[in-house]
Parts: sequence; C-alpha cells; structure tokens
Amino acid sequence: MAPMTVGVAHHDCWSCSYLPLFRVFNLILRVKIERTIRHVGGAMRGAGAEQISVLVRTIVESKASKNVLHYFYTIGYKLDHELLKIGFAFRFHRGAQITVTVTSTNKMAKLHATDEAVPVTPGIQLVEITAPAAADNYNDVVSAVTAFCEYLAPLLHLSKPGNTTGIVPTAAAAAASLMSSGGVKTL
Amino acid sequence: MHWHPNPGATLNSQILIEACGCAEALGGAKDGRWKTSIFFYRPMTRDGGAAGAVGQQQQQHPDLPRELLGVALHERPGLYFSIVRAQRLVLQADAAFPQVMEKLQSYKARVALNFEGFQYQLGDFCLRIGKCVPNNSETLRGIMMEVEYYPLSSIEKSRAIMEDFFDIWQETIAKKSLPGHFIHVESNFSDYGLSDQYSFQHTAVQYATCLQQLMAAVRGP
Repeated sequence: MAPMTVGVAHHDCWSCSYLPLFRVFNLILRVKIERTIRHVGGAMRGAGAEQISVLVRTIVESKASKNVLHYFYTIGYKLDHELLKIGFAFRFHRGAQITVTVTSTNKMAKLHATDEAVPVTPGIQLVEITAPAAADNYNDVVSAVTAFCEYLAPLLHLSKPGNTTGIVPTAAAAAASLMSSGGVKTL
Repeated sequence: MHWHPNPGATLNSQILIEACGCAEALGGAKDGRWKTSIFFYRPMTRDGGAAGAVGQQQQQHPDLPRELLGVALHERPGLYFSIVRAQRLVLQADAAFPQVMEKLQSYKARVALNFEGFQYQLGDFCLRIGKCVPNNSETLRGIMMEVEYYPLSSIEKSRAIMEDFFDIWQETIAKKSLPGHFIHVESNFSDYGLSDQYSFQHTAVQYATCLQQLMAAVRGP
C-alpha cells in the first residue's frame, strides 16, 4: 500500500474582480509549513467530454515560499474566501497514479482562525478520486480512474462532479472497508 | 559585478574575452557554460494587451506593480523566482510558476534577457563571466560576472575574503587597460526580508540589482 498522508490543508481562495479563481494551499504536515499554488482551469467541454465518465480539467501547481500570500496581495489579488480541509489521502498506482482523498471542509469566522473552524457539512465528507494526465495519455488515465470507481462501487457510488450522487454515512467506515479489502486484493 | 564602460566607450565582446583570459591567468579551470535568465513581466490591460507599450493607455490600478521580474537560475533549474522590485519582495517558487502566471493572465512576460558565458573554478571560488543578451538575439546589452565562495554561507563572515578576491581581480583586469571596469553594487538583502545566511533568493535579488545597474551603465548618464 502506498504511503498515506494525513494533513490539514488550510485553503485560501483568491480572486481578482475580473480574473479567474486560483487557490493557495497552506499544507501543514507535522511542523513544516509548505505552500502550494494550484490553478484549476475550466473543465473540458463538448460532446466528447460529456461521454467521458470523469471530469477532465487543466491544473497547474507550483510550490511557493511562505510569503506567497503577501505576493499575491501585492500584485492586486484579493482574498475571496478561505476554507480548512481536514482529511487523509491514499496514493497508489493502478493503471494510473491515483489519489483518493477523504475530506471534511470547514469554514472559519475570522481569517486564518483554524482553531475555530466549523464543518460546512457536519458528519458528511467528500471522497475524491483524482489522477494526473497529459494530453497524449488522458484516455488511459480516464479508463484507470473509471475502473477504480467501479471497483469501489459496492462500497460507495462515485459520480462525475456536477452530477448528484448518494452519500455514505461515515468516511471512517469507507476507509476501514478500503483498508480491509486492500489486504485481500492487490492495489 | 557588472561592467561599467568608460564615458564614450562601447561594449564589445573583446572585453569578455579579456576577462575570461584573466580568469585563466589567475589559474581558473574552465568548467563549462552557464545561463541564467530574467523575464520582464508587465501588467495585462483589460483589452488583453500589455501595459507600458508606447501610446497605450494605462488601464491598470495605479497601486499595482508595473513590473515583475522572473529569474531562472542556472544552478537550480527546478526553481523560479519572482521579484517585485517596487515592494522589495522575492517569491521563491518552482519551475511551474510561469505556467501559473500564464493561466492567470494578469501579468505577461514581455522581454527575456539571458546572462550566459563560461564558468571557471578557481580554488574555493567559482567565477561566472558572461554577457547579457536578449533571448534569440546576439545584441550585447552588458557584461557581468558572478563570484561564488563555496566554504562560507554567512554574508558577513565572507565579506573580507570576497573583498580580497575583488581586489586581486581588479588588479589583474586593470593590466589589460580595457575601456571600463567591473563594479559591485551591494543589494540590500534586509529590505527583501533576507537573512545573513546566503540562499538562492539572495542570488536572484543580486541578478535583479546587477541587471538594473548594467542597463543604467550602458544607457549612460
């Protein structure tokens, strides 16, 4: 089983009045604080995209030094909203480099007040399956992700973002079930 | 250090050749080529053009920085630095950062300048002697050199030995009677929030300072 990471992602969303959103993550692992900038582009559209069972989006990520928030303020960006995401991630290779994250999203009344975070959807967590792809291999990656989602089907129903889905009562039960079935089947 | 031509003198690549000759005369062993690049970013205006072009109306907010510098250092191709000189800010990011800027479309890279040449190992020192040329052009914009002293990381502790090295260097190059001289202009690292412990962020800031000085020297009084 590939390494599991547990972390608290303090997640700021930024926008400029007429420019698209991008996100800055403050990922706190143990005592080291790293920053990651993630720009999430629009989803692939069209008839071909509708037929694919997963959402395909352009994502650009860069690590950054801890003055990155100050940098974006300086070049004219304003904080749009801030979220705290708490959860865990599994990473493994199964046809593609797949990441499964189980997160609860929390909001804060005051800026950066992570100790006073309150869940946005109490008792409900988001399970996301993602995998990086390039323009020349995304069909293979789409197949791998779809196959993995089908593998998980007895446990939980995963659907393309934007389509409604059923809800699993607890993510802990989902994770425990994943880990026990991981012992029997080779992931 | 950047090359400051004497009044009325022009830049030419002979100066570069002579400087390399001095490095070798001092016992330097040529150790390959190097290239560091600087990118000038200007704000994008609402109509999609870049601000600052001649005749174009300034549409961006007056408080916004009018220029960002991107620096890609020779020694660390995985890193990228973005400097806001007006605010004394240096951001360290990785090589994907220019793609983030490209997606954001708030600032666009307009001009790229390369510092390139040969590097020499000279005992505990590394000398990089190079020309400053626009990307895809051979027009000489300036001449400069970078000196690195490997054993120490503290700027204060290495100051004396660096000064001794510069003195030896200036003496050696003076013998060539070239129409100008090398000048080192101190960068104010504490303004940028940088400590005494030398880092790649310091190097990026020094390149920004050197470029500014080099262009001012060539433009003339």
